[in-house]
Amino acid sequence: MRRGLFPRTVTALCLAFFYLPILVLVINSLNGSRYGGRWGGLSLKWYRLLFSDERIWLSARNTLIVALIATVVSMVLGTAAALALHRHRGRLQDAHYALVFTPLVVPDILMGMSLLLFFVTIAAPLGIVTITLAHITFCVSYVAMVVLARLQDFDDALIEAAHDLGAGHWTTFRRVVLPLLMPGIAAGGLLAFTLSVDDFVISFFVAGPGSSTLPIQVYSMIRHGNPPVINALSTLLLILTVAVVWSCEKLMGRNYADSSRT
Amino acid sequence: MQIRRALSLVGVLAAVAIMAGCSRAGKPVLHVFNWSDYIKEDLVKVFEEKYGCRVVMDFYDSNETMYAKVKAGGGGYDVIFPSSYMVSIMHGEGMLMPIDRSKVPNLKYIDPDYTRFTMDPGSDHSVPYMISNSGIGYLKSRVPEVKSSWGMFDDASLAGRMTLMNDMRETIGAALKFLGYSLNTTNDFELAEARDVVIRWKKNIAKFESEQYRNGLASAEFLLCHGYNGDVMQVMEENDDVGYVIPEEGTSLASDDMVIPKDARNPDLAHAFINFLHEPEVAAENTAYIFYLCPNTASYKLLDAEVLEDPTVVLPEALLAKCEVIRDLGELNEKYTKVWDEIKAAQ
Amino acid sequence: MTTGSKAGRRVEWMLTLPSLLWLVVLFVIPTVLVLAISFRPPTPSGGVGDGWTLQTVLALRNPSYPVIVWRTLRLSAETALICLFFGLPVAYLMARSSDRAKRVLLLLVIVPFWTSFLIRIFAWKVLLHPEGVMKQAFAWAGLVAPDASLMYNEGAVLLVLVYTYLPFAILPLYAAAERFDFGLVDAAMDLGCHKFRALLNVFIPGISRGLATALVVVFVPALGSYVIPDIVGGPGGEMLGNKIAQRVFVDRNLPHASALSSLLTVAVVVPMLAGLALRRHRVRPGGVK
Repeated sequence: MRRGLFPRTVTALCLAFFYLPILVLVINSLNGSRYGGRWGGLSLKWYRLLFSDERIWLSARNTLIVALIATVVSMVLGTAAALALHRHRGRLQDAHYALVFTPLVVPDILMGMSLLLFFVTIAAPLGIVTITLAHITFCVSYVAMVVLARLQDFDDALIEAAHDLGAGHWTTFRRVVLPLLMPGIAAGGLLAFTLSVDDFVISFFVAGPGSSTLPIQVYSMIRHGNPPVINALSTLLLILTVAVVWSCEKLMGRNYADSSRT
Repeated sequence: MQIRRALSLVGVLAAVAIMAGCSRAGKPVLHVFNWSDYIKEDLVKVFEEKYGCRVVMDFYDSNETMYAKVKAGGGGYDVIFPSSYMVSIMHGEGMLMPIDRSKVPNLKYIDPDYTRFTMDPGSDHSVPYMISNSGIGYLKSRVPEVKSSWGMFDDASLAGRMTLMNDMRETIGAALKFLGYSLNTTNDFELAEARDVVIRWKKNIAKFESEQYRNGLASAEFLLCHGYNGDVMQVMEENDDVGYVIPEEGTSLASDDMVIPKDARNPDLAHAFINFLHEPEVAAENTAYIFYLCPNTASYKLLDAEVLEDPTVVLPEALLAKCEVIRDLGELNEKYTKVWDEIKAAQ
Repeated sequence: MTTGSKAGRRVEWMLTLPSLLWLVVLFVIPTVLVLAISFRPPTPSGGVGDGWTLQTVLALRNPSYPVIVWRTLRLSAETALICLFFGLPVAYLMARSSDRAKRVLLLLVIVPFWTSFLIRIFAWKVLLHPEGVMKQAFAWAGLVAPDASLMYNEGAVLLVLVYTYLPFAILPLYAAAERFDFGLVDAAMDLGCHKFRALLNVFIPGISRGLATALVVVFVPALGSYVIPDIVGGPGGEMLGNKIAQRVFVDRNLPHASALSSLLTVAVVVPMLAGLALRRHRVRPGGVK
């Protein structure tokens, strides 16, 4: 009687609620009829159409470029920020912490709006570059928070020991701190990558001519596209997601709570 | 170990991205900003091959959205397709490049009958692309007793299954026409009356929507939609249960024109694109596909009689007399924005 | 670890400056810009005029805005409460399951959390389609009129908001429940407490941190919703995010969009910073979970 009936029922309902729409998408992606609701026989034609749509692949390429740059830059900036926050105290770090933390709680639309105004004011041409800058801005905070959480479990005595053995700051960092921190940094980077790949609102505000990312392309397809092609695309993305989640599970063990939003 | 594996994954992804980038580098690029589904895509491919270039297209769903995007630093487009009233706003703002007539020899085919719809009959900074009108698309089987009137939006039996355009000039314009006023009015009383009509209609509609109604009609998600003639006819190709009527109270007519913004990166290619779309064969093929009329005299004889005789493509005189072209009202555009806000906010 | 030495100071600055500078330039300055532009007049051509004015900010008193603000707050609060209501039992079950079941459940919760957010919304558009299976089943059961639509109303917006944010609520609740000592509940029951009361009086206060985090991670992003009401909402279901987007993407009235954004910023950031200042003094940084 440790697990009651109520939590079990609710959990089952929630999981059904989570997966029902996704299941409908997957089934419809194989439906030969153009509109869900009637079954037009099993067909792969939407996948064929998907693979022949050049715009989707161009936007997927844009997404990948933006996400890779944003991930790498935010991993560097975020890790440095986390180290500073962990090691030092004082007014500077109080301010620094507030600055790193606030973007996490600012709704996307505000960040998109303020960055758009900023880029317009400095007359920067909107496009891939502005999207990348925007993505780095929100990714830094996530990486910093994930690495910081990892640092909480860090044994500072190891650093003392390295110093006692005559290692300098840089050597200690490179040979002791960095390897121990790597799983945290990788988790942060993975989170940054996922957030960047999935971001729509902020990208939509700061996008320019021909710089559509995959989510922007999906949004425009939802508005005036061929619905079954979106089903096919969704199914492929879903498979990719499951693969990524599964490999994280392999890569980082069970420490998911770390990568959830703070 | 695991980290190395993760890093190698990043490396592979980067390599893929770079390779995908390289294969398409080198060619000149033409950036086009167009209404969605407003050009036959195969023709764009023909153009790409003929000029050894690549065409990148982005889409918008109303003149206002397009203008906002271009103003917001979204410069860098080479060809845009605004309606005439938006052409004059953009021209007034000094955003447009003059058309170099020597680079667009096909200007000679422009039908003088239709230049009265544009604000720039001499094609000084814009070239007419297509003539369109707005009306009502509906499902014949579900709305058998359709009336050709804007009053259809008062039909509560269709509540939740109708859409009006998310476009202030078109939707307020429809209400103004319904009331028998000009859709370019600046009279406050007429506007207030029109506002109340749209607010009444709003209770019956599912959404203000200028793009999704096409999929909505085709899949019977919506039963009756305010839309553009060619767009609805494209849906008809796919679902022959769809019909289109132009309300007898009159409606809006538009000449959508092609313009080249001042900050275009590739004006020569832009001129070539405009000229290409007025090649008689191209214009005819485009019209036959998107069901809007390209005002190009040489293309008419290449079109099926069916298209030219279709009263929703080439309007009969009696109806034409009741229709109007949306004009730029300068400072007074504000009035429409205000009314539109009140409509959107109404409960 | 803090060394007062010059070298320590230099290392601190080296580690702090990159992120500090980046965020000042691309986060603080843009936010201040939004606040500043709220006090600028718009030009009819869609630019930002010269001089300063209170006109835009005063325009927020226009009776149409409080309605939208209220709807935004109400829908976000409803979303947060519904997510807590359903998230709690799930988190509880997960925390009390065997290690293996935990892993599986966690994975099942995380997969939708990682799927593209637009696609999850699109899925509902397909599912709620008025000619779709679900609607036909409802109509057959006599729950709705045959020509009715399940979409484009406030209920649909709320449904999709809950769908989108429920995993966000479950994860912090689970993290808190995982750390909770269930022996306390057993002890309370040993002392004669009914199981439900024991949970209410011991478990809920025990995971209050997790509850607060779950509330915030649902409520705050919901306040900024834009895509969900845009795609499944009806003509009368606009939220603040839609209004901001309309001002930017359609009306091209940047000062007005800024004023609305400032309103949202103040509503979100001020309580956040206040809470942060309080907590920062109580716990070490990063202890916030």
